[in-house]
Amino acid sequence: MSDPVVSVEGLSIDYVIGAGRFRAVSGVTLSVERGHVVGVVGETGCGKSTLAQAIPRLLPEPPATIGEGRILFQGQDLVQVPLWKMPRIRGTGINMIFQEPLNSLNPAFRIYDQLAEAIYIRRVREKSGAVTDPRAAQAYDYSRSQDPTASEALLRPVVPAGAAARVTRRAVERHGDLKPEVLEYLRLVRINDPETILDLYPHELSGGMRQRVMIAMALSEKPTLLIADEPTSALDVTIQAQVLTLMKELIEEVNTSILFISHDLGVIAETADELGVMYAGKLVEFGPVGELFEHPRHPYTKALLRAAPTRYKSQGPLSSIPGSVPNLSHPPSGCRFHPRCPLMKPNCRIAPGPGLETVRGGAANHTSACFYADAVEALP
Amino acid sequence: MGGTGGAAGSATPEVRPSLAERGRRVGRGAALLWRVLRANPLTLIGFVLVVVIVLTAIIMVTAPHLLTSYSVDQASTDYSQGPSWKHLFGTDGNGIDIFSMVLYGLPVDLAIAFAITGVALLAGGGLGLVAGFWDKPGTAGGAVSVVIMRITDIFLSFPSLILALAIAVSLGRGVWQLIVAVLLTWWPYYVRLVRGETLAVKHLPYIMAARAAGVKDGRIVLRHVVRNVLEPVVVYFTLDIGTVLVTLSTIGYVGLGLNYPTTPEWGSMISYYQNAGLITSYPWTVLGPGAAIFITVLAFSLLGDGLRDVLDPRSRRVLAGSASRSSTSPAEGEEAAEEMAQETEATELPSPVASAAPPAAEGRPVP
Amino acid sequence: MGRSPTDLAIFVGKRLLQLVPVLIGITILTFVFTHLSTINPCAQWYPHADPTTRANCEHLFSQPLSTQYWQYLTNLVHGNWGASVEQVAVYPQIAEGLPATLELVLAALFLMIVIGIPLGVIAAQSSGRWPDHLVRIFYLSGWATPTYLGAVIAAIFVAPYFGLPSHGEYSSLVPPFHQYTHMSVVDALIAGNLPWTLDAIEHLILPAATLAFINMGIATRMTRSSMLEVLPLDYVKSARMKGLSEGWVLYKHALRNSLITTTTVLGVTAGGLLAGTVVVEEVFGWPGIGAYAYTAIGGGGAAPNFDGAIAVVAVFAVGVVVANLIADILYGLLDPRVDWR
Repeated sequence: MSDPVVSVEGLSIDYVIGAGRFRAVSGVTLSVERGHVVGVVGETGCGKSTLAQAIPRLLPEPPATIGEGRILFQGQDLVQVPLWKMPRIRGTGINMIFQEPLNSLNPAFRIYDQLAEAIYIRRVREKSGAVTDPRAAQAYDYSRSQDPTASEALLRPVVPAGAAARVTRRAVERHGDLKPEVLEYLRLVRINDPETILDLYPHELSGGMRQRVMIAMALSEKPTLLIADEPTSALDVTIQAQVLTLMKELIEEVNTSILFISHDLGVIAETADELGVMYAGKLVEFGPVGELFEHPRHPYTKALLRAAPTRYKSQGPLSSIPGSVPNLSHPPSGCRFHPRCPLMKPNCRIAPGPGLETVRGGAANHTSACFYADAVEALP
Repeated sequence: MGGTGGAAGSATPEVRPSLAERGRRVGRGAALLWRVLRANPLTLIGFVLVVVIVLTAIIMVTAPHLLTSYSVDQASTDYSQGPSWKHLFGTDGNGIDIFSMVLYGLPVDLAIAFAITGVALLAGGGLGLVAGFWDKPGTAGGAVSVVIMRITDIFLSFPSLILALAIAVSLGRGVWQLIVAVLLTWWPYYVRLVRGETLAVKHLPYIMAARAAGVKDGRIVLRHVVRNVLEPVVVYFTLDIGTVLVTLSTIGYVGLGLNYPTTPEWGSMISYYQNAGLITSYPWTVLGPGAAIFITVLAFSLLGDGLRDVLDPRSRRVLAGSASRSSTSPAEGEEAAEEMAQETEATELPSPVASAAPPAAEGRPVP
Repeated sequence: MGRSPTDLAIFVGKRLLQLVPVLIGITILTFVFTHLSTINPCAQWYPHADPTTRANCEHLFSQPLSTQYWQYLTNLVHGNWGASVEQVAVYPQIAEGLPATLELVLAALFLMIVIGIPLGVIAAQSSGRWPDHLVRIFYLSGWATPTYLGAVIAAIFVAPYFGLPSHGEYSSLVPPFHQYTHMSVVDALIAGNLPWTLDAIEHLILPAATLAFINMGIATRMTRSSMLEVLPLDYVKSARMKGLSEGWVLYKHALRNSLITTTTVLGVTAGGLLAGTVVVEEVFGWPGIGAYAYTAIGGGGAAPNFDGAIAVVAVFAVGVVVANLIADILYGLLDPRVDWR
């Protein structure tokens, strides 16, 4: 039954800055099944965005370094892929929606050019056989690719900016009229008069519109895996709801696998199939969303749910988690949550601490990193 | 300094920091300097060279016989000799040792350069503070600010070397004339730099708060604005020493400099030998002082450029996210690293529009 | 948001209007230098001139300042820019030399853009590693080289090594065609004479390269720091996420944005290049206004030519102002966020 699009195995990421060194992500194991939406939640600084950007090798290396672990994507370990080869995996293989819609569209290019570029890349790769539609069951195995394809030969040349712009224009035009497809994708993200925005620049659009364009851009490459890094948190609440609804609809329509990063439990509850909870660089609990919300098996998840002002939990006073987020250069020994944990026992302090284990009486893929997972239910 | 405390000191205790606090500040400064120097080997090289150069200049003023056996303009019996161990840069037709003349020129050039940049910094910086802090349109301060900036803009349109040359023509030759000629073209850069920084600092929350709390403007400027503006100004000053040296030497080369060999200034020295037509047959007479200028300017530029990378707010933010940010202790490193992680968590980098303002401190054209 | 052609005209028009006070300021400043730098400049300026010139000068200085300034402006507009001690009029000489200087400066600017900007990109891309250090040593070396030293070394040591000419615009003083523009390469092209065009380009290389090397720091440094500012931004990441190659991301997406910032140093660059021509043209025997300025200032022991010196200074100042204007307009064109209205 298991057909993961991407599986992260024991991944650790360090930041090395001068003499300082700290582990932003330590030993995270997580996989996204085909057609599933996996959410990752955690407080700011828990390493969830670092994880998201590490999968397509987007982190600046240095200062970031992948300490250990594997990122298996379609049979290939991305950690071993040299950085210069990553472009052929990004785009059609893995794509990403960023948090800040203003910053993630290039301010100097028109909407049409930015979208057409993405569609163009996908078409070149489709033509050269480098990708097939991810909606078809059989995905292309990148590791089997022998020769650098025409697309990469086209995209590699280093040319001055002005000339490059002209070359793409020409290349784009040569490749058939991209406009209908650009319009199609803009309509897909529910932009009503897409013709009117083609010649506009990103700053001339509202935040919500920009995020829609960003989503259209990511989807237009028909990626096998889409990583959404807090795609709605920079937006107003009303716009947030619209974009979220849109994303939910698109998930049904496009049938892409999605890794959804958020700090907002409400957003996750609405979109995700499975949910991972991160704390201080570690994955502390993973499981089906419904079960995890109803029967959390890690004290941190429980505390997080209690602290979240959402309509998805029972009434009662909001609570905060006592203590503070640990310092990642000197994390607590053993279980990293122990200084704040109501269930703390002496053995929680002893390294290496609890590992993720399947919980008793839950779904097969529900795991928790707590020695006393069974006692969590009894907590207030 | 410590003895002037007294009644005034106890009334406003925060004005006069205790000796311990001063010590701590010096310590912090030293730590910062070390962090900057470690960040880039070139900056360290520049720093070491600057220290050596300044020490040499001090020795040449106090005890020149330690470094050279000749006094100024003293001829040896070796005429027109090439470089050798005895005469590192060779000798000229009169038997004057070029190397010792270059050494004698060092304190002269450095002193003039420091005098010019120092006065330019104080005058230009003062005007910049005024123009930046009291710039509200419609007030007297606003009017003054506009006048200052207009005059500055006009001066800034002239390439400083060209204007300095023109002024030097009118003023004639001499140390003071030289200083005044260059100084007249040098101050406007500092006005623009300090004004830009002041405008940026002025809107920092704590300064707004101090204003709202009724603290007198003059006090805010002296205590808070100056301290914040200091960093970029020091960086620019370091780079500027080199630029002034090059300008001075060009003025000397054109023949408007000082009287070599009585005053051993490098540019005038080159001009003297160049005009004597010695460059093709005795290239060391020109290359010696030329190399001295090159190395001195390079030393100050390496230091200044490295300082700017770390201290300039425009590039500091960027460096925080790259490996160049270094630290003295693991604790500081982790702070930086966490900052970095926060940045990937919640990308709060400013939009490029904000950073697109014309750079005031990007550099003066090198003559 | 106004970005229509009419708006562009308004945008440029506004910038042109803003020039007026600056230009007036420049004339006032040059006037001050011309007329007030010493108590009685006539004696100093015209020690050996004929009595009429001297008397005219004395008469002018007895007038009130405003009259003097007005007289100065009138003369300026009528091309009556004074004369040297030998009574050679200034204006025709400057008019003839200006195109040659412009050609040299543009050639140097071209080299700075073609070499300096990619160097800045390379330095930013490898920030803190050895290519970055090499680039920094390169541009700071240019920065630290006194112009005359660079020019003299280029003329005496580099020229023979590469077999390049180091004097004048052409191999012969007078080329066998009419010089319409006084820009050596352009004139040879107009004449359709390929060998002379190549000859002109050969003569242009060294002085332009010297000027470019000495001023390289500004462009490279600026490109480097603006690239460093752009590279961590999300849109560069999202360009990477499209599957674009690194070169494409750098030179199309990132450089396009960092160039917007880099244009702002065009004015400073122009100032540096123009100032550099004074020495470079003198050393390479380039018949431009830089060499004219060198002589006018009294370089090489010549008798100073005050009218000429002040005129060149004013022309250079106008050059810097125009460069700033172009930078401003370029900025407006390149950055779609600038509202032209």
